[in-house]
Amino acid sequence: MNPLAFIWGFFFRLFPCPTRLGLLRIGNPSKESPVLVTCNFYITVRRLFRALKGLNLWLLVADSKGVNVWCAAGGEEFNTRSVVSAAKTSGIADLVDHRRLILPPLGAPGICAKNVREETGWSIHWGPVRMKDIPRYLEQGCRRDENMKRATYNWKERLDTGLGSLFPFYFIGALCFLMFAGDLLLPYLVVGAATFLLFMLACPYLPGKHGLTKVIILDLVLGAVLVITEIWHIPSSFSLRAYLIIAMISLLIYGTELGGLASTLRSDLDPFMAKLGIGVVGNVCWSGTIRTDLLLGRRLLVFRRVRCIGCWSCVEVCPQGVWEMAEDKRAVFAHPESCTACRGCLVQCQSEAICLEPNTKHTVAA
Amino acid sequence: MFSYVFMKILENRPRSYDRAMDKASRGRVKQMKEDVAAEVPNGSRVLEIGCGTGELAAMCIARGSTVEGFDTSPTMVEVARRRIEEKGLSDKFTVEEMGVDGMDSLLDRTYDAVVSTLVFSELSDDERRYALKNAHRVLKPGSICVIADEVQPRTSGKKVLYFMIRGPVLAVSYLVSKAITRPIEDLTGEMKAAGFSVIKEVRSHDDAFALVVGALEGVSS
Repeated sequence: MNPLAFIWGFFFRLFPCPTRLGLLRIGNPSKESPVLVTCNFYITVRRLFRALKGLNLWLLVADSKGVNVWCAAGGEEFNTRSVVSAAKTSGIADLVDHRRLILPPLGAPGICAKNVREETGWSIHWGPVRMKDIPRYLEQGCRRDENMKRATYNWKERLDTGLGSLFPFYFIGALCFLMFAGDLLLPYLVVGAATFLLFMLACPYLPGKHGLTKVIILDLVLGAVLVITEIWHIPSSFSLRAYLIIAMISLLIYGTELGGLASTLRSDLDPFMAKLGIGVVGNVCWSGTIRTDLLLGRRLLVFRRVRCIGCWSCVEVCPQGVWEMAEDKRAVFAHPESCTACRGCLVQCQSEAICLEPNTKHTVAA
Repeated sequence: MFSYVFMKILENRPRSYDRAMDKASRGRVKQMKEDVAAEVPNGSRVLEIGCGTGELAAMCIARGSTVEGFDTSPTMVEVARRRIEEKGLSDKFTVEEMGVDGMDSLLDRTYDAVVSTLVFSELSDDERRYALKNAHRVLKPGSICVIADEVQPRTSGKKVLYFMIRGPVLAVSYLVSKAITRPIEDLTGEMKAAGFSVIKEVRSHDDAFALVVGALEGVSS
């Protein structure tokens, strides 16, 4: 393990942490062994090595610019081209007798399975969402049960993504206190960490649909406590006031983009920035993307059922179970309220039954 | 979404790409392309790997060659096609949206020269190997492959200095343009491994850029 890469990759996940591209051997793979494809984010590859211990297979690390599968696919960095290029240039075709690639389903917004198949001649199979399910998936003859298709956001995942995405802000805060208010550094470190832990563990149970709503409610409560101590002159030290203010600001930072941390939630920040008219900052695109348009309701995901050929692609890749298959072997847009606008179904639909249209009142056309 | 938006691609600005690159490199990139074009015999049929906006292709065409280029960036390809249209080069320059993985579709022994600038440092080890193997296959006997790219300096002192300067520049470059490049450790060695005889290697003053000319043995038909 490279400790520096681990620390950077784990705590500074907003930035890329690439690992070497190409083909890796897990155990002693043979000509019949499965071929798994993944991104070149250091932490993902390392965790995969741990999850796949004891198995014999080929791991094809494709270019995602050093970013994890979900984020890179959403940003179109982990895409059809990366997988096609890895499949063709790695020489895997000479090492196995079959032509089956197992892809991570959270990569569906970036990788078009149909195009990969056409360009490489390899068939595409979507693996389980969580890497810990891969051994069981392989044992079952590459079959997924329903649980393997759905993304979750349990407390471990919340802490993991929260630490990875919010630590830089905590770190910057600590540096600011260190430089400008050294005596408050320790309270900041304690209160900042405690609010993070409490918020991440309790957030599903807090009132409000969005992260921002949840933290505003919490901030109002803390603000009320602050006002009460001030108005009624309840004996308090300077520290209590400082702790409350630190907690309020920390919560605001942690909660503003809670949706952006998970594949099960809708982003709050994208549409907010787009509404403010902030389109592009550096290499970050805040508006004009399909995802932002969908989140803002400027465009709608339209399902033209008559065009559906029953390929199951949408059902297979949606981590939220938005799509279901009806008895007539055509898909049904069964749970649009759970859609996080990841575009996975849109990219995978083989018959253009799922398409985009400017906002109209009806999302489903006959 | 924080984790995600940081990774979104800002659409390239291909119209100003050549000018910006020229300015940022203080004319070095343009000079490098001119040096590459100068290596290509006049009247050649040239394949350009990663043709970008077609600046190098235009230089080769000015020397009487015809160029077939490809690039993975649709916006770059669009600008190159506009260049072809505006300058009336349709019989001398064709462009495909394709990566090096598509080189297997090119015919054997077709080209007099394969050229590339500042592309190999963006490729993985496998992609570079694949590109050079196919370049070797598509070239006619006696023809040349000219690659100019970012390479690792050879001496330890220059290496340390180079990476100290490169680190912050890379960070800024990533934040602004999303571009990540990896200087090639041994471009000459890779060309030799692909079967080329290296007949020329020119290094920049800081040892961080190299122009390598590989030749295919045999008499040109």
